[in-house]
Amino acid sequence: MSGTLTLTAATTLFSLPENRLSSTHNTTPASFTKTPSAAHLRRCKVSARACTETRPETCRSRGSLYEILRINNNASQNEIKSAYRSLAKVYHPDASVSHPESDGRDFIEIHNAYATLSDPASRALYDLSLGARRQRRQTVSSSSSSPFDFCPTRRWETDQCW
Amino acid sequence: MAEPAYTVASDSETTGEEKSSSTFAEIAIGIDIGTSQCSIAVWNGSQVELLKNTRNQKLMRSYVTFKDGVPSGGVSSQLLHEHEMLSGAAIFNMKRLIGRVDTDPVVHASKSLPFLVQTLDIGVRPFIAALVNNVWRSTSPEEVLAIFLVELKAMAEVQLKRPIRNVVLTIPVSFSRFQLTRIERACAMAGLHVLRLMPEPTAVALLYAQQQQQTAHDNMGSGSEKIALIFNMGAGYCDVAVTATAGGVSQIKALAGSAVGGEDLLQNMMHHLLPDAESLFLDRGINEIKSMGLLRVATQDAIHKLSFQHSVQIDVDLGTGSKISKVVDRGEFEDVNRKVFEKCESLITQCLHDAKVQIEDVGDVILVGGCSNIPKIKNLVLNVCKRDELYKGMNPLEAAVCGAALEGAVASGLSDPFGNLDLLTIQATPLAIGIRADGNNFVPIIPRNTTMPARRELLFTTVHDNQTQALIFVYEGEGKTVEENHLLGYFKITGITPAPKGVPEINVCMDIDASNALRVFAGVLQPGSHLPAIPFMEVRMPTVDDGHGWCAEALHRAHGSSLDLVTVQKKI
Repeated sequence: MSGTLTLTAATTLFSLPENRLSSTHNTTPASFTKTPSAAHLRRCKVSARACTETRPETCRSRGSLYEILRINNNASQNEIKSAYRSLAKVYHPDASVSHPESDGRDFIEIHNAYATLSDPASRALYDLSLGARRQRRQTVSSSSSSPFDFCPTRRWETDQCW
Repeated sequence: MAEPAYTVASDSETTGEEKSSSTFAEIAIGIDIGTSQCSIAVWNGSQVELLKNTRNQKLMRSYVTFKDGVPSGGVSSQLLHEHEMLSGAAIFNMKRLIGRVDTDPVVHASKSLPFLVQTLDIGVRPFIAALVNNVWRSTSPEEVLAIFLVELKAMAEVQLKRPIRNVVLTIPVSFSRFQLTRIERACAMAGLHVLRLMPEPTAVALLYAQQQQQTAHDNMGSGSEKIALIFNMGAGYCDVAVTATAGGVSQIKALAGSAVGGEDLLQNMMHHLLPDAESLFLDRGINEIKSMGLLRVATQDAIHKLSFQHSVQIDVDLGTGSKISKVVDRGEFEDVNRKVFEKCESLITQCLHDAKVQIEDVGDVILVGGCSNIPKIKNLVLNVCKRDELYKGMNPLEAAVCGAALEGAVASGLSDPFGNLDLLTIQATPLAIGIRADGNNFVPIIPRNTTMPARRELLFTTVHDNQTQALIFVYEGEGKTVEENHLLGYFKITGITPAPKGVPEINVCMDIDASNALRVFAGVLQPGSHLPAIPFMEVRMPTVDDGHGWCAEALHRAHGSSLDLVTVQKKI
């Protein structure tokens, strides 16, 4: 599948220290697949985007903020809060059930999703951008959301060098 | 006893039941080091238990005496009389002094303490000394704290019959990261490893979360949250937190704190009773120290009595020819300390504002700390919160240490079959962290009250044509200019491709992990592309040591504005 769209400066820029961090602090190769969370949030706000390839590794962060919190698009404020809390209990680095390799990246992502959705104004804005995004997506089938996907060579390069 | 051969991290792969038994020896203990009193608590497998010293005390005085050259702290030694603590040989109030330089007003206020605190106002650590056999024996707040922690540790080891290594310590909200490193150093000197440093009201919030969960256990995860305001005032510091609690998760919405406390009430009162105290005690001989001690004890006593009665008679012979004989009533006490109480009110208002919470939405108002008995404090908290009643479910003097012990158990990976440890604190940053840019301004990158762990970044650019280097000064605080904030460190980034000013893009990213470690990344981006020209620099903060006040000034003298940065308008 190939569909290309604009690449905002911010996403790749962000990914550089991100990758470096994961390589120094995680020994598991899987940690490279984690998506920079703030970048993710930003991208969602930035609107439509598509990807050049589907990555074989699954990103936990794939999909909308609603999917991150594992709730319906019409979830109530209470449901959002409750989902945030139960996910925090699993993904917060302090949580006892948390995986040993968890470095808080997942939780930052969950919190960012919560921060957007728990505020009615920013949620409305996000819902609008989500609508636009869904329309675009009809032309491209992939929904992978890693910023590296826009430029595979760059991803390779950063993975190798950092 | 040998060191356990396992780590907590590997244990969490096993199931919960196995974990609770195997990690038992590693449970971190909770320590609340107060300016005036301290306590130690541990999760005993089913609940939090406060440990008592050999004199059956749960709350021990925080001081160390250097009598006869061998230091001993308030845990083990027994003072024959309160006055012995004020003979010049005892050092206390170390929590007010730790990590502060001699230009700090809090250090200046500590000069009325009955030992030597000398300030030269040049931005270095103050000279602190105890009078031992008529000779000044110099010491540091870290050393005093370490001696004290060694005693606490020994006491806990005897009672728990296991070596203690991991601790959760409570700290004031207003502590800078530099002060936190001093606390960590004191712990390291005592052979303790700091698992978490918890702002005091957030420890109380965790205890509250547990209590809420126990009272409404079937309510878990339902999302019906309760908002609580926690006001904590001890001898040295005043802290406020707003927390949203549901299902054992305590989410800190906002924190506010300041170095005002019972010590200020005491000093204002002493000044009220003896306005020329400063000049009288300028010469720190044994007699002056004794007089200061006598006045201190008498005033302290009077303040305590004023919590229960409307007026008190003070009679004290200072021994230097001056006698004080006076009746003080509660109104007078409140008048003398008006500014302190106003500060307390403003902290509550600020915290509610930052949390974006209306006072009507606050479910419980929790008042803890050594000052919670003072009627004026009680009234002002109730007034600001528009309440008639305070939360009654916890002991105001033990709440913080109990919360720390809970966090110790949770952070050690322990679980409880009855769900009593099914808890989590989602912390927020008490102070903003940013860098110096746009001249002498402080540009926050991680704002105050950001949920932790956190990662934020901002773009900067050069101020001069063909500028190839830039200095990244990292500050922490709330002031608009850098001078009002704490310098955490600085480093230089090089290799900026020569270009007109405003063209190069310099990305500064800050990362705080769940254990509150701060890392700063900075790098230059190649013009036109978004790849780094040179590898990003990653620096763990803080990097500066004592006398850090000098460094920024010296660097400014040496380099002027040649290594400055400005913010790029668009926030990435």
